[in-house]
Amino acid sequence: MRRRWIAGAIGVLAVALAACAPGGGASDQGDKAGTDKVTLSLWSWRVEDVKAYEKILAKFEESHPKIHVEFKPFQATEYNNILATGLSSSGGPDVAQLRAYGGLQPLVEADQLLPLDGKVEALSGFDAKLLEGAKGHTDGKIYGVPFAYQTLQVLYNKKLFSDNGIQPPATWDEMIAAAKKLKSAGITPFAVAAGPDSTWTLPIVHEIFGNARYGSTAFRDALVGGEKKFTDPDFTASIKLIKDLEPYFPKDVVAVKIPDVQALFATGKAAMYPTGSFDLAPVLAANPSLEVGVFQAPPPPGSPVTTPVTPGWADGSFGVNAKSAHQAEALELVNWMATPEFGQLYATELKQLSAVPGVTPSDPLLAEMAKNYAGNGAPYMLLVNFRYGQPNGDAVFRDEVQKMLAGQTDPEAVAESVQKGVEQWFKPGN
Amino acid sequence: MPRWRVLAVFLLPALLLYSVFMIYPLVSALDYSFFKWRGIRQMGFAGLDNYRDLLSIYPYDQQLWRAFAHNALFFVGTMVIQNTVGLLFALLLFQYGRGRRFLQAAFTTPYLVDPLVVGYLWSLLLNPTFGPVNALLEAVGLDSWALPWLGDTRTALPIVILVNAWQWVGFPMLLFSAALAGIPAEYHEAARVDGASAWQAFRRVTLPLLTPAIGVVSVLTFIGNFNAFGLVYAMAGSTGSPAGSTDVLGLLFYRVAFVEGGVEAIGRSSALAVLMFVFIFGVSLLATSYFRRRERRLV
Amino acid sequence: MTSARRAPGRVAVHLLLWGYAVVALLPLVVMLFNSLRPTSEIFTAPLGLPTSPTLDSYLRVWTDASFSTYFLNSLIVTCGAVLLGTVVSALAAYPLARYDFFGNRVLGAYFLAGLMLPIRLGLVPIFYLMDSMGLIDSLLGLTLLYAASGVPFCIFVLSAFYRSLPGELDEAARLDGAGEFRIFGQIMLPLVRPALASVMLFQFVPLWHEFLYPLVLLRSDEKFTIPRGLSQFFGEYTTDWSALFAGLVLATAPLFVLFVLATKQIIAGLTAGMSK
Repeated sequence: MRRRWIAGAIGVLAVALAACAPGGGASDQGDKAGTDKVTLSLWSWRVEDVKAYEKILAKFEESHPKIHVEFKPFQATEYNNILATGLSSSGGPDVAQLRAYGGLQPLVEADQLLPLDGKVEALSGFDAKLLEGAKGHTDGKIYGVPFAYQTLQVLYNKKLFSDNGIQPPATWDEMIAAAKKLKSAGITPFAVAAGPDSTWTLPIVHEIFGNARYGSTAFRDALVGGEKKFTDPDFTASIKLIKDLEPYFPKDVVAVKIPDVQALFATGKAAMYPTGSFDLAPVLAANPSLEVGVFQAPPPPGSPVTTPVTPGWADGSFGVNAKSAHQAEALELVNWMATPEFGQLYATELKQLSAVPGVTPSDPLLAEMAKNYAGNGAPYMLLVNFRYGQPNGDAVFRDEVQKMLAGQTDPEAVAESVQKGVEQWFKPGN
Repeated sequence: MPRWRVLAVFLLPALLLYSVFMIYPLVSALDYSFFKWRGIRQMGFAGLDNYRDLLSIYPYDQQLWRAFAHNALFFVGTMVIQNTVGLLFALLLFQYGRGRRFLQAAFTTPYLVDPLVVGYLWSLLLNPTFGPVNALLEAVGLDSWALPWLGDTRTALPIVILVNAWQWVGFPMLLFSAALAGIPAEYHEAARVDGASAWQAFRRVTLPLLTPAIGVVSVLTFIGNFNAFGLVYAMAGSTGSPAGSTDVLGLLFYRVAFVEGGVEAIGRSSALAVLMFVFIFGVSLLATSYFRRRERRLV
Repeated sequence: MTSARRAPGRVAVHLLLWGYAVVALLPLVVMLFNSLRPTSEIFTAPLGLPTSPTLDSYLRVWTDASFSTYFLNSLIVTCGAVLLGTVVSALAAYPLARYDFFGNRVLGAYFLAGLMLPIRLGLVPIFYLMDSMGLIDSLLGLTLLYAASGVPFCIFVLSAFYRSLPGELDEAARLDGAGEFRIFGQIMLPLVRPALASVMLFQFVPLWHEFLYPLVLLRSDEKFTIPRGLSQFFGEYTTDWSALFAGLVLATAPLFVLFVLATKQIIAGLTAGMSK
């Protein structure tokens, strides 16, 4: 009995190892296949976009018959490591989706990407604000073709608004009055999450309601130039707005997660959803019949900027692996990604805001967001300017704001913590 | 005394496999902590700079000690709840009649599910708005007990400890069961003949004979708790929500190494791992030699 | 055997054990239920009974993701790793626990060291090691890595069990003239069989779920393990919950089978111990 057990175990082991053996050297067969067709590997963190990219890339292959592109998505939370290691090994990507701003720097600093200056002509026509996200922080070179940007605003449920006799607010006081009215009607006024793994939305909520209050782009410039600090009374006042709005957030907001608020809004239990353009597609997928409108939060009293603002940032870009064996073809692909053809396909198939100049979204809501950003755009400051060192500005900010919502700290202390964290690496004036 | 050739046959296969695929990469990782990094590119020797950064830069300087304290609480809580209950179940089931195998299987089943999934399922059950746990409490009139469990800085860590115990209780139970079965029946009979009560027999006969198993369970609990990651991540996110009240060293490492993804990430996260290693390894060695000495005294 | 106990105490024991069994199993029922509900329903009401149960998600997992391939790969990698790891550890733990030789303590500590580090720490060096050995996108590489990762735990638990066996056992056999390998194979190994079963089970489960290394080391779809395959349902802002739950149910089911087999081994060991 016992011997049979051990013999069986060894037998299975032998079979298992034999079955694995051919796995060793079998990779990279694509090039040897005999045809002169080149296969490019395109890496991405968007697993939900596989089908859309297949369609988009089919168009590219039509006009570039000698190139085949393989779209390989990875889980978003682990993508950064996979890409950093993958770029430095055999069998890595030729073209890869790159994070923007600070998230791009580790790859740039390790010389893992091909600078695109002079290699992709169309980049000169791109919005300078968006190109900033694809640049090396120290060398100023461009490493990717931006594919999308995100805008921040308030989504609202049109039916709930008209049922309660509410118009999209033109002033801060109107907005508060509307929130009060909705709350007394048993509806959650603002769908905001501050629970586990949802705190990254807190800086977004802060931007939506507080960007005008702290002084928008002018304040950002003063901060980067070293003339002002996060402890400035205007910035502190903008943090206090979150605390002031808390009564209109869901109950126990510190326990509420993103899927919870998406559901609240999609099912008509919450009337307003301060969020990014990226959230429109998931919300509408959950409830296609939902009638959604868009407004920019009106500037609160005392704001240095008195017109509504739409904060935004570049979402990411497509770059070329410095070690790619097919750089010419990879450059052909990223050049194509800078054309209006790609931009239009991208905007239509993925319901996102394309970064390619001149592309207008077909979706009316996205078109409105794009118009607002073009007219009153401002940088999402903590992400755009304060992620170039550890600790990230927005990482400290979100932890401290969550603490504030849990009743453990106040706006002044939040501002001081952000200043203290960022000072560890941030040198004003560059 | 066996000859070296016998020893080699016993030891070499494990030594080879383990040294190449575990020790070599881990030693390289430790080596990383003494260098300056730009992304994945190794730069010059940095001495102890990464350690100094970790211990002095805000907010790591605060988060490190807070996470350490939470790990310690996690360990104590798990020892008291999970391992005591595991021993209790093993004892009750040892002489249990029909249904024993089913119960053993049922208690161990949560362990079969991925910690990330367990964390997710329990956050649904404990959700303050639609979760059945609070609905049940309200239904039986305990409204004041219907707390936002994972959203309250006082209850979040205890809840994580309980859910962790829920998932792992089968582990001490099985090890204790195996150890109980290894105790020769004569010992129990001898105690019974002496007229000892059940509790006395347990204290004087069973418990001392379980010392090796208790040692194994304690050390593995210690190591497991100080490396805790998956479940806490699923229930409290990478920042140890709410307000860092569930932050543990595993999460801090994950944030420094992966989430914030700065250019110095490899050096600093390696330094943190070295600190964790030195502490966990040191304590585990002390604990193992302590339990080994107690075993010797038994024999 | 329990006749000496008083009745109320026994009722309390029954209540406690069976009550806890419900608590232990209930959340898993939620997982099963959610795999039968469409994603849009899970999205709007994360908990609920499957009012109109559908097997759509299972179909999607089976066709969109080639689940049968992932399953086979997971089986090869996990079985291979657990067997290899347990065999080499069962061999190594024996002299560490029962022989007195120079360097025993140091070697024991050396093996213990591997338990203390989070597996995530080794990510970058392990990637380069595998790359230099041509083991990227290879199931063999993953198997060897997993086997090695189980060694410290196995040796730690098994040597405790070897140590608990009475010393007279091998002394008597040695007097009878048995060789060291016979003593090991015919006397010691059978006695630690319950421990072997538990050790294998406790290695198998985390390896079966492990997703980081397949994510980083595997590239082609036909080599994916189950967790790597399921990661395709985790989007950046959206997750296909019902497909994910279906995949999880399919992934967890074989663990139940394995577990039933393993408890059989443990029970066999238990009864063997009692009849002694």
